[in-house]
Amino acid sequence: MNVLPELLPALADLQEGFPGRFTAVHAPRANEVYFHAPMEVVAGFCAQLYRKWNARLVSLFADDARTTEHVFHLYYVFALDAAHGFFILRVPVPPEKPEFASLTDAIHAVNWQEREIQDLFGLKLQGHPNPRRCALHDDWPEVHPLRKDFDLRTTLPAFQGVRHKFREVEGEGVFQVPVGPVHAGIIEPGHFLFSVAGEPVLYLQLRMFYTHKGTEKLFESLPVPHGVRLAESISGDSGFAHATAFCHAVERAAGMEPPPRARALRTICLELERLYNHLGDIGAICTDVAFVTANMHAMRLKEQVLRINEQLTGNRLLRGMACLGGVRFDFDAGRQAALVQLLAWLQPEFESLVELIRESSGTRDRLETTGVLKPEVARDLGVVGLAGRASGIDRDLRRDFPHAFYDQVDFAVPVFTEGDVQHRLVVRREEVFQSFAIIRQVLAKLPAGPVRAEIGELPADRVALGYVEGWRGEIFHWIRTAPGNRLARCKVKDPSLQNWPALTEAILGNIIPDFPVVNKSFNLSYSGTDR
Amino acid sequence: MNLDVTAIVLQTGLLLLLAPLVSGVIRKGKARLQNRRGPPVWQPYLDLLKFLRKDMVISEHASWVFSFAPYVVFFTALLAGLMVPMVTMQAPLSLFGGVLALVGLLALGRFFLALGGLDPASAFGGMGSSREMTIAAIAEPALMLAIFTVAIAAGSTDLSRIVAATLGPTWSLLNPRHVLAFAALFIVLLAETGRLPVDNPATHLELTMIHEAMLLEYSGRYLAFMEWGASLKQLVLMTLLVNVFFPLGLAPVATPSALAFGLLAYLAKLFVLSCIVVVVETTNAKLRLFRVPDLLSAAFVLAALALLSTFLFQ
Repeated sequence: MNVLPELLPALADLQEGFPGRFTAVHAPRANEVYFHAPMEVVAGFCAQLYRKWNARLVSLFADDARTTEHVFHLYYVFALDAAHGFFILRVPVPPEKPEFASLTDAIHAVNWQEREIQDLFGLKLQGHPNPRRCALHDDWPEVHPLRKDFDLRTTLPAFQGVRHKFREVEGEGVFQVPVGPVHAGIIEPGHFLFSVAGEPVLYLQLRMFYTHKGTEKLFESLPVPHGVRLAESISGDSGFAHATAFCHAVERAAGMEPPPRARALRTICLELERLYNHLGDIGAICTDVAFVTANMHAMRLKEQVLRINEQLTGNRLLRGMACLGGVRFDFDAGRQAALVQLLAWLQPEFESLVELIRESSGTRDRLETTGVLKPEVARDLGVVGLAGRASGIDRDLRRDFPHAFYDQVDFAVPVFTEGDVQHRLVVRREEVFQSFAIIRQVLAKLPAGPVRAEIGELPADRVALGYVEGWRGEIFHWIRTAPGNRLARCKVKDPSLQNWPALTEAILGNIIPDFPVVNKSFNLSYSGTDR
Repeated sequence: MNLDVTAIVLQTGLLLLLAPLVSGVIRKGKARLQNRRGPPVWQPYLDLLKFLRKDMVISEHASWVFSFAPYVVFFTALLAGLMVPMVTMQAPLSLFGGVLALVGLLALGRFFLALGGLDPASAFGGMGSSREMTIAAIAEPALMLAIFTVAIAAGSTDLSRIVAATLGPTWSLLNPRHVLAFAALFIVLLAETGRLPVDNPATHLELTMIHEAMLLEYSGRYLAFMEWGASLKQLVLMTLLVNVFFPLGLAPVATPSALAFGLLAYLAKLFVLSCIVVVVETTNAKLRLFRVPDLLSAAFVLAALALLSTFLFQ
């Protein structure tokens, strides 16, 4: 078994802790180790990894393997950031007793993921503090769309309209403000129910999953190469990152690595995606405190990044650039020069935008100490990405699990512990500067050679985890292959799913008119959550 | 009470026509300062026309108050406008107590505006109304005090006499009570007309709205009256600022040349004030809601100091 040396101590420790409990241990990739074990092992396995190895449960999902192995499988994906590897625990759930034990009491971060499994696979949760519907709304009939025997083309009857029962908040002068699911801006549906006493928010309840599109089910119906286009549309603002995470998973399953030039170009595109989103968000945060001037400048800069995207890849949002085994288009000398020129123009422009925002004392007054997400809360909820880094969570897949070309470049990961809106803005600001540096380094070291390699047909029954640090946070795509270059399962984990619950914590004690800017500082994807 | 029908008709026409233009100019100015082209200055007229032609969607929970409020808001603002000297030194209307009646009329309009926000029982309207009344509770006293400062100097609460007295031999731009009262009234203007840093007139975020939140349930003709009423109120307050504190150019007699000069001077002064509003709105972020009372308290203190200095420096 070829395993990263850093992972060996933890591996030995687990084997010692659970003697004879693992029916199999295998490592298809050096940083991806699978443990097959019975259900009873889960809690102890988890506790040992959390306590002794500072691991975190980054993804939890089910897989319907009844056709081949007559069981459902649950997969618990742990990231051991310090050791740069993933431990994945697979436990069987017999179809005749479709139940599994909840970990939510111990690990709050898996709350929504566990309930999603219950809804989509019909595996009953045991011991969950709030085992109500989550991914499928209360008015859905008793169906489990991700089971294999649920036909993709099933048409469900019109729903009866059972309303979700929100938790009551009572008290003198307490009233409830329902917002959504249809909003005034051009955003997706989500319901926010505020319980307020005057202006201060006492409690916020979220209702997501209004746009369940069955994306994971759709992956199972498509030939693998088509999956790239589907992955692009999971969350519009992270199209390239999702597509690249999918490609990464497929490439790992195929046991190949894209040529160096392809990985370098992927890195550039990932950073361009980060740039345009961060620029847009910095402007949008200013808009939400009505400092529109800064937004107009931010939009001006973002537009130039979108134009260079189009010049480089033919699409303003980098659609169509990702492909299995590399990227679709090469950057010739002229395009590289255009990119260098853009960076030379963008950096001073961005610095003056930063200065403009810094000098607006009114803006700082609005942003500082607003929407504080405390580090311990962020840790408990497993908050990832830039929101985590603003709340003291020093995690970045680009550094801890270097994918693409990130092992070849130097960059800093900005981390702050204040956790307020201001610092989510500052993390974005610092990451923009880091992106400039990363793109410059990649261009300077750009390897020669082809930009894609043939990947061929995927062998059946391979499993692989693909991962990418998108601009919002870590994105995971886990696949299990099926015969005929198809997928038996594709599990998509978007950072939004992990971070939404943090919003309900960050808003507590703030006043209602500050909610939009707190929400914007997280800028989570509805589509990535619902899939 | 001296009623001059021609003057009333002319000033009513001027108020109705000019009010949307001022909003349009401010919007255009903001757009230019944000590097945008912005809609044309007459866009508010087109909006009003559009609203007037559209059907209305009215909540089934709404009562007669909802339908009544737009007219009250509109006509109180219009009536208040008739009591302010715009082009001539003599305002066409002077009702019981002059400036007191003006403040009372605006307060009545606001009262119905807040009721209109509450009536359809939507969460946003209620939020807007409660915020509006919180702000009004501090803005109104500041407005009264600032106007009393000039009223005491003139020995009358009749705006025409105040203007005449201000323009008289004692007028001085740098008179401390003038400067202080003007500053107080300017802050009140920003708060009363829903401008930054108090309220953001251009936002789509319901949760942050004050004035717009009360209008969310309105559509069609009612919305037109609400919008028109709001711009009338803005014009009235701006006229108060420019004509009471800078009465230069007001026509003392109703000759055509004096009127033409008066109109030009008035428009020029309005334009300058609009530009100041534009700059304030462009350079400031919105205050946190609970900081707004601080700003308005500052206006109140300024007005109180103005009143005090009336006696100190007399």
